[in-house]
Amino acid sequence: MPTTRYLILEDGTSYTGQAFGSLATTTGEIITNSTMNGYQEIITNQVHHNQIIVFTQPSIGNTGLDQNAYESILPSAKGVVVREYENLATDHLKRISLDRYLKQHGIPGIYGIDTRQLRHHLQNQGTMKASIVDVDDEHAFDQLSATVLTNQQVAQVATPKPYPNPGEGDNVIVVDFGLKHGILRELSKRKCNVTVVPWDTSSEQIMDFDPDGVVLSTGPGSPNSLPESVLHMIKAIESQVPLMAIGLGHQLFGLANGARILPLDVEHHGSNHPIKEIITNEIFYADQEQGYEIDKKSINHKQLLITYLDVMNGTIQGLRHRDFPAFSVEFLPDGAPGPKDRVDLFDDFIEMMAVRRRNDNG
Amino acid sequence: MTMADNYNKVLIIGGGPTTLGSENELDAAAFEKVIAFKKMGTKVLYLDNNPFSVVADEIQAANVFFQTINLENIINIITKEHPDAILFSVAGLLGQKLALQLYQSGILESEHVAIIGNSLTTFQTVADSDRLRQLLTDWNEPVIASRTVASDDDAVEFVREIGFPVIVKPLSTDHDTSRIICFNMDDLEAALQYSFDQTYIKRCSIEQSIVGFKEIEMVGIRDVDGNKILVTGLENMDPIGIHSGDSIIFAPTQTLINEEYQRLRTATFKIMDALNITGSCHIQFAQSRTDSDYFVTKISPYFTRNTALATKATAYPIAYVSTFLEVGHPLAEVRLPSKYSHIKPLLEPTLDHILVKIPLWPFEDIPDADQHLDTVMKSVGSTIGIGRTVEEAIIKAMHSSQFSPRDILPSVQNIDDDDVINQLIHPLASRILILIEALRRGFSIDDLAELTKIDQFYFYKLKQLIFAQTFVQTNPLTAESIKMGHQYGFGDGMLAELWNTSIQTVEKLNQDNNVQVTYKEVESSAGEFIENTNIFYSSYELENESQPFETDSALVIGRGGNQLGPNAAADYYTSQVLIQLHKSGYKTIVLNNNPNAVSMSPQLSDKQYIEPIQLGNILNIIRLERPKVIVLPGNRHYLAKNLKQRDELNIIVLPPDQKDAQLIRPEITNAVDYFIDGNVILPITTISYSVTSYKRNQRYNTNYQQPMNQFTQYGQKLIAEGRKQLTGGHWQGLVQVLFEETTPGNFKFAGIRPIRITETAFLTKATGINWVRVLVKKNLGNLDLVRLAELLSHTEPKRFAIMNGIFPFEALHARNHQGSSKQEVGASLQFKNIDQQKKE
Repeated sequence: MPTTRYLILEDGTSYTGQAFGSLATTTGEIITNSTMNGYQEIITNQVHHNQIIVFTQPSIGNTGLDQNAYESILPSAKGVVVREYENLATDHLKRISLDRYLKQHGIPGIYGIDTRQLRHHLQNQGTMKASIVDVDDEHAFDQLSATVLTNQQVAQVATPKPYPNPGEGDNVIVVDFGLKHGILRELSKRKCNVTVVPWDTSSEQIMDFDPDGVVLSTGPGSPNSLPESVLHMIKAIESQVPLMAIGLGHQLFGLANGARILPLDVEHHGSNHPIKEIITNEIFYADQEQGYEIDKKSINHKQLLITYLDVMNGTIQGLRHRDFPAFSVEFLPDGAPGPKDRVDLFDDFIEMMAVRRRNDNG
Repeated sequence: MTMADNYNKVLIIGGGPTTLGSENELDAAAFEKVIAFKKMGTKVLYLDNNPFSVVADEIQAANVFFQTINLENIINIITKEHPDAILFSVAGLLGQKLALQLYQSGILESEHVAIIGNSLTTFQTVADSDRLRQLLTDWNEPVIASRTVASDDDAVEFVREIGFPVIVKPLSTDHDTSRIICFNMDDLEAALQYSFDQTYIKRCSIEQSIVGFKEIEMVGIRDVDGNKILVTGLENMDPIGIHSGDSIIFAPTQTLINEEYQRLRTATFKIMDALNITGSCHIQFAQSRTDSDYFVTKISPYFTRNTALATKATAYPIAYVSTFLEVGHPLAEVRLPSKYSHIKPLLEPTLDHILVKIPLWPFEDIPDADQHLDTVMKSVGSTIGIGRTVEEAIIKAMHSSQFSPRDILPSVQNIDDDDVINQLIHPLASRILILIEALRRGFSIDDLAELTKIDQFYFYKLKQLIFAQTFVQTNPLTAESIKMGHQYGFGDGMLAELWNTSIQTVEKLNQDNNVQVTYKEVESSAGEFIENTNIFYSSYELENESQPFETDSALVIGRGGNQLGPNAAADYYTSQVLIQLHKSGYKTIVLNNNPNAVSMSPQLSDKQYIEPIQLGNILNIIRLERPKVIVLPGNRHYLAKNLKQRDELNIIVLPPDQKDAQLIRPEITNAVDYFIDGNVILPITTISYSVTSYKRNQRYNTNYQQPMNQFTQYGQKLIAEGRKQLTGGHWQGLVQVLFEETTPGNFKFAGIRPIRITETAFLTKATGINWVRVLVKKNLGNLDLVRLAELLSHTEPKRFAIMNGIFPFEALHARNHQGSSKQEVGASLQFKNIDQQKKE
């Protein structure tokens, strides 16, 4: 028989469910993700560091997990909450089951939860702390409220040492704030010779690699909790080489260029929001893993151009520097998971590097 | 950005009579489109010959053309009525052909008429499979390799190129021929020999076989600026080789990984862009099970059965929104109906529930049809189940399907293992029961997946269901069993059956254990936004989202999945009941599970429940909603009996039970229809039943004509005779007195019966008085009899209304049927001038 466990929230709510995955007690920030395909990519995305992920898609685990779709090697999510999970490993790709995977990585799961009610609750109450525990007594709630979640999230998930991902093409430096592999995959497809460097690498160190371009990666947590030195690095780099920034990288790019960052009342994790390209009015879709937004009022329009907006909540989804070949997007264009409607942004980046080379040579 | 066209007058081509492969979904879609056009201030003309069309009643009679849907009639309407534009997207495949013919006829230029939606090029491309194949190849979208060959050598050479398995088909221009699958050279030689014998043009087609691939379907919409959303993906549980219409379908897709899903999404968008689609588009794919290859198998840039299913899965109003897109509005500017408070048309649907569709086949009524499931569609209808777990959704859909007239998980047990294996490989309509039975007998999931080409995932789910059923059965009347049962979708009625007890006992057990059903809304944001689609399904969880109305409500119990017999008419009937109840001031609640029913159109009721139409589910709804009135359209003895036992409920059964009919003579040629209220007997009209001699038996009366032949001569006499028969009787409502014309001019009284559903629909179209609504008003006690009598005095017949039943025998390769009213799949309606018929 399955083990009964509890999902308890900071506001005193308790949900009864059954355990799968690891049986550890866990605490994290609870968020919902409404992307329907790609639970593997979602669970392994470092953006969910310290988070307990509630899936709205009710049946999770239907195909197991496969080697080709990890977004990180060591997942750092704190828990998985589902209505129903499948302990299957069925597809033609070599797969392991969700249950086994979560056990291997010490991530607790809980199923049998009214995730629709839970989502309504979180939409109303906002993001908060939660635990998956064996007993939902006063002690557990005390523990939960006493737990302080770290704000050193990037330092915990980003690579401490540089490493290469060799290719024959452009020399690209990826600054790792909690990188998702989709970014590397897209750069590999475009034959880039990639070096991944730690988040706190200085601009001088980066320029020593003689890069054709720099990518600021996705990552967890608030950009405000990173030190000023990161912003200096971005300021220094953007004026020298083409720059592409994604997710947390996008927020840092905004911050470096004088914008303010605000937390969202409710984090948005999904790929259903229409995103509008302002210049063409074109609508497209992509995975969004967003807890913060760039305050529109804080944009210095002489420096930055707003390129994309979320049609549903109005948040800035993209910026471009007016003076330098540098752009950023809040959404995840690599389509792992989610639509690949804007995967061609990586081609734009490659093109920017080609233009720069032509200019340099010319 | 393009400016939207502003049309003053639009001709909508309807879907025609219901038949195999098309139920009422096109009428339901047309209904939404009419509302959209009204919002744009556009006048609508409507061409259709489906007597059960709800749309036809929503449009001024003068603007409805009950004529056969063909080029000649369309051109006639164009020249007489001068519409600005014509809409074909809810006219099915026939509509596509007609649109192309109309383009080619030249009349569009001479009469300055536009075709709404797709361009001539799009119509041409989609209609020409060779051209489409070439274009798809140009766009780097994979299509199945196929070639026409004239000799064995050609064939062998081509097969060397593409590899086995292949499908060989003799080409012939006159009829559909068999397709032979070949796995090796021996098979191929035999197939070629057979096929070249069969074809008089000496050509065969050879194509790469994708039998056994997963069948995945995508439904998207696109505006004139190229903005698009993917409404949903659908996954067929059954592999390629079984027609999608005969497959069990899941929404959203269940066994695709992100990479595979996104690839098909991207392909869908690419194809929609390349074809320059405006409105909805439904694309089918074959997805390999062994690698990531896929093929595009079918493109339907118009409203289809599975477009309707996508709407039911997401609550996204595809037909309504597409109308705006087709006339050139950008997607971002379309305003959804007021039920959608936050959701914008651009929000791509994301689901937190699972929908399962199970087809219904007509083999009980036509037992000699070939019952094997293959590439030719044989089902006549389907039911859907929605749940928060896959098991729950499967059980609900099964529960609602023809396998379970009673509240029980159906099973097949009396067959031997060889038969089971045989049916696993060559599936019959009882497919899902065989899968369950095979699992019960201990077949391994690996073997089953190999034999059936069904993903292992589904077998795990079915196994869970067997486990749950066994648990419930071995632990009767316990709280644990109730919980387990509810978790897996076993309703209270089903639990009562499994425990051989009454439903009241289960209700008591629920009460004692504080178990309450909850209802979840079907909406497209997975709970991100609070919506009011007012479409609900049940689950047993924490939060109930359905609140009873504060004012008087009425519950209408729909008919469920389409089967042969009066089902299309019953759906029409149900819709009219809903409309009248709403007009009479009730908040209307409908329960149904037929994805193609017009009565499920969101605008036709204030609230919908998509649930099995079973006593337990009905009682749960009643307990929550406390409706003032419950209407049960059609003869459903078990439900009527059980509901009437509960004194507190106010049940109206419409029409009254046919058991009350008094039939004196089996052969019937004529009838006189009356409306009776209290002591007032109002004659409505006379009817002739059809002509051929065997059709005289009342079981075979499926052809109707109003008024009767030679009504000037015999009408008044029969009306008087009928009135005599009715006087002093207990009859109320719509009643007909039947006659047999034994020799010319000699009419013998043959009996009295309540007017059946099909004939009520006919009578409504024939007389222009909506008799369903009259009946509802009578039952609610707010009928204005004086006004009705006055209306009737103006129905002097000027034309004949003729309705003929349509049967599916040819499509099912079944012969030697006389066509009883139980075997009807639909009907066609036409009007003829009385003079005109005299001449004929």
